[in-house]
Amino acid sequence: MLKRKASLTATALMLLMSGVLAACGGGDNNKENASTPTSGTSKNGAAETAQLKGDFEIQYFVGGYGDAWWKSMIAGFKELHPDLNIKESAGPKINDQMKPRWIKNDPPDLVYIDGAGGLDVGQAVKDGQLMDLTEWFASAENVDGEKLSDVVITQPSAIEGKLYTVPLVFGSWGTFYDKALFSKNGWEAPKDFDSFVTVSEKIKAAGIAPYIHPGVYTGYLIGGFLFPAMVSANGDDPSILQDVSDLKPGIFKSEPVMKAVGQLVTMRDKGLIDKAAVALNHTDSQMQFLQHKDAFIPNGLWLPNEMAKDTPEGFEFGYIPSISQAPGGKYVANPYTSPMAIASKAKNPEAAKAFIQYIFTKKAAIEWAEKTGALMNLKVDLDSSKASEVSKGAIKFYSSDNLIVAPAVPIQADVNKEMENATLALTDNKIQADEWAERMEKIAEKVRSQK
Amino acid sequence: MQLSLPEFHVRGDCMTAAWKRRLFIASFVWPTLILFLVFTVYPVLRGLHYSLFDWSGSAESMDYIGLRNFKDMASDPVIAKAIRNDYFLVFSKIFGIMLLAVFFAVALTRLKLRGSKFYRFAFFFPNVMSVVVIGVLWRFIYNPKLGILNGLLSETQGKPVETPWLGDSSYALLALLPPAIWAGVGFFMILLIAGIKGIPEPLYESAQIDGARQWKQFWHITVPLVWEQIKVSIVLIMLTSLNGSFAIVSVMTEGGPDNATQVLGYYLYQMGFKQYHMGYASAIGIVILVLSLVTTIMLQRIMKRDSVELS
Amino acid sequence: MRPFAVNRIPRWISGAVLVLWAFCVVYPVFWSIMGSLKDNQQFFNGKAWALPKFPLLWSNFSYTWETYHFGRYFVNSIVVTVGSMALALLLSATTGYVLARYTFKGSGLLYYFYISSLMIPAILTLVPMFFLFDTLHLTNSLTGLILLYAIGALPFGIFVIMGFFKSLPRELSESATMDGASHYGVFLRIMLPLAMPGLITVSIVNALSFWNEYPLALILMNDPGRYTLPVGLAVMQGEMQYRTEWGPLFAGLFISMVPILLLYAIFQSRINEGLVAGAVK
Repeated sequence: MLKRKASLTATALMLLMSGVLAACGGGDNNKENASTPTSGTSKNGAAETAQLKGDFEIQYFVGGYGDAWWKSMIAGFKELHPDLNIKESAGPKINDQMKPRWIKNDPPDLVYIDGAGGLDVGQAVKDGQLMDLTEWFASAENVDGEKLSDVVITQPSAIEGKLYTVPLVFGSWGTFYDKALFSKNGWEAPKDFDSFVTVSEKIKAAGIAPYIHPGVYTGYLIGGFLFPAMVSANGDDPSILQDVSDLKPGIFKSEPVMKAVGQLVTMRDKGLIDKAAVALNHTDSQMQFLQHKDAFIPNGLWLPNEMAKDTPEGFEFGYIPSISQAPGGKYVANPYTSPMAIASKAKNPEAAKAFIQYIFTKKAAIEWAEKTGALMNLKVDLDSSKASEVSKGAIKFYSSDNLIVAPAVPIQADVNKEMENATLALTDNKIQADEWAERMEKIAEKVRSQK
Repeated sequence: MQLSLPEFHVRGDCMTAAWKRRLFIASFVWPTLILFLVFTVYPVLRGLHYSLFDWSGSAESMDYIGLRNFKDMASDPVIAKAIRNDYFLVFSKIFGIMLLAVFFAVALTRLKLRGSKFYRFAFFFPNVMSVVVIGVLWRFIYNPKLGILNGLLSETQGKPVETPWLGDSSYALLALLPPAIWAGVGFFMILLIAGIKGIPEPLYESAQIDGARQWKQFWHITVPLVWEQIKVSIVLIMLTSLNGSFAIVSVMTEGGPDNATQVLGYYLYQMGFKQYHMGYASAIGIVILVLSLVTTIMLQRIMKRDSVELS
Repeated sequence: MRPFAVNRIPRWISGAVLVLWAFCVVYPVFWSIMGSLKDNQQFFNGKAWALPKFPLLWSNFSYTWETYHFGRYFVNSIVVTVGSMALALLLSATTGYVLARYTFKGSGLLYYFYISSLMIPAILTLVPMFFLFDTLHLTNSLTGLILLYAIGALPFGIFVIMGFFKSLPRELSESATMDGASHYGVFLRIMLPLAMPGLITVSIVNALSFWNEYPLALILMNDPGRYTLPVGLAVMQGEMQYRTEWGPLFAGLFISMVPILLLYAIFQSRINEGLVAGAVK
């Protein structure tokens, strides 16, 4: 039930630094038409496109990003194609509700995959449920006449050489803190694991628990801490995560993985992890964090927007991609993406494609950033936009040489569950690192044998 | 046996009467039975059928694998743990619910206390709440930082208590008991009150004359005469616990931490709907079915012997 | 009338335990009312049992009612509950009557067949049920849900109603038959009215479970216009993961609790009566 499960299970995705830099670097290198996606252009685009007719069903999960952007996009699309009957299957429980329809091959035309119980892309491709978009994506243009493959920040990931998804949301896990609280107390934001431990002990001495995470959804701790730590421990080589994803025999006993797990043990043994964490879900833990009961929290870039209503006056979200690196080591950003896909059994695939072409525009990307506080997977200049400070701050990290972007690797569902279980047990001192490794190797072995 | 014979003699026109009777029975039995077969039996058989397949639950294609799901279960440590947890909950719930329900039923009938009508009404409150409500409520009670329980403990101990009741694998399972018992007592209390009210008053009166104390009356009159209700209650608690523990676990802990509160019902859900092993999940369903049957038979036997001893 | 000289001390202790338990069951209800009048700040900063601050946030109720469309869910829940209550009654009264008062080939088998279905884990049937519903074009239809609920309640209904019909004196139907009444006549004019308390009991207990049913409704109704209250509540809770609104959530909990509490209050004695007859075989 990890709400951003899609980010862990989504298809492999390699983020190239150059792409990110081109996308998010300071305003000067951006395309000239960044601010010109006027309605005029889109009308021209529409005129070229044939009018779409019939039914068109979109399934989209409504979570931290809300549905304001979707409503606005769908309304705009409807204006272009008044004869199209658009059906929205949306909501926070939509994944559960639509699942039976996917099973019996009566899917919606277009799906945005995010949230608890979201479609497992690997499984869906295996089952032949998603449309092969390879050829279409290679040449498709958005309604402003730009090639989709040129405008996206991160390219769709291939499964056995073919593309099935287009990443819509682009973001990163990391560790959050309150800048205001830190400067008030003279604490420094950690730059590496050692400084994290040092400042945490100061925080603890001041009577605040240093580190909280949602123990009910251990995926946050894994995504925000453990995976980046594995990359740090592997000499900043992110290929370790691919090995974990592939369940290479012995990988969970390998030195880098054990070192990362060891850092968790250190945090546990020094009493830096809030004892209450094991019983909290994400909302509970985030409230604790906002109320200054805890100083750090592993989370994703969606956090400030999600908690906007409950953020106290004067609270300043600070974001650190990773806290596990050795002194002088690079930051590691563990990305998450939430993709869109077209069902292979779509009844109106033309409308689905046209809708993707309609939403992958700069105008839509700016609207996304402003409405959700997160980043859409499209190169656009946000500096003059009303995007959240955290998004803008995150971009500074992305554009630094001092940062490694890890791949967003899929973790098989059984392995993922066991990793959550074992990691939680480890942080609660119920098992030790060697038992953790033993359990992970065992489940990996089992899953390998089932293939 | 009950109604038909006299009818035959009165009328003499046996064939028509028998035919009418048959038609009547058929018209009362078949509509219900057909709907039941279509909407209960057929889906169950389909569900059981899945247990012989390796099926993700998200595709049309299924691989027939015979009994492999059952073999896999034998070596799955979570299954063993879930069964242990299930039976822990079953027996603790039987004990807790019956103790309280019997006590309340006796107190509200035999002791003639004031306000018994109010109590009977209020004690049923939890039974009318949706499990969603119960989950939200009790998660809040147990919340380590904001919850009522730790609030009370902090107050009485004079220092902040932040025990993560549902998060520590040492007592998470125990922490599931209070909500489960709390939510169950009312119904069984009413069942037992009904039974006690059905006991003829003269029985108690003569016992009174013989000088039997309240306690003795309880053991020698009340218990034997409501034994039927007690038996039904115990079997019902067992069945609803094995088949229904899914609900309370899913709203309270989702089987965590680290499977500490895992039960078969929730594991079925987790395997089928979250980890894409619908075939395996169906096999778990069969295990639940078999355990329910076996336990029912065993409980019936044990309690049969007891009832003989007591009466 | 005081035939029982009860010792004072046990009586006193019993009284105390009753008061304590009454507190345990009433307080949570009270607490959720209090919760429905608070804002987030009071939830997270104040003591858990603190009373809501003034001004009381009655707006939480209208907010939940309108923003989360509880009005519509409410109507759906009532339609589904009443509809399935009626259908369940029809189906289980007929079968229960025949099983109680007639012996025929397979009647014993039929009885055990219905009773043993209490042992089936309902969740096992979720997926097949969906396909079945789809084949019959019943998804997203309240009729489908009514059908399903009514049939799910059959074993319990048959069990209790049988007990009722069995307890009715045999002479009644015998004399009626002699007066020339048909099987249907006996059932409709004599037996059914006499079994009324049992029928009411079954209906109320059914109403409780229909009103609160959640997993089937979640899977089978995915059009927000067809949500019942529990689904609406769960969806609200789901959205709460991203937009913390404890006050409105508690208001929603409370809204969903009230009708069933009222129903229970009104029919309380009937339920007790019915269970007597049902439980005493």
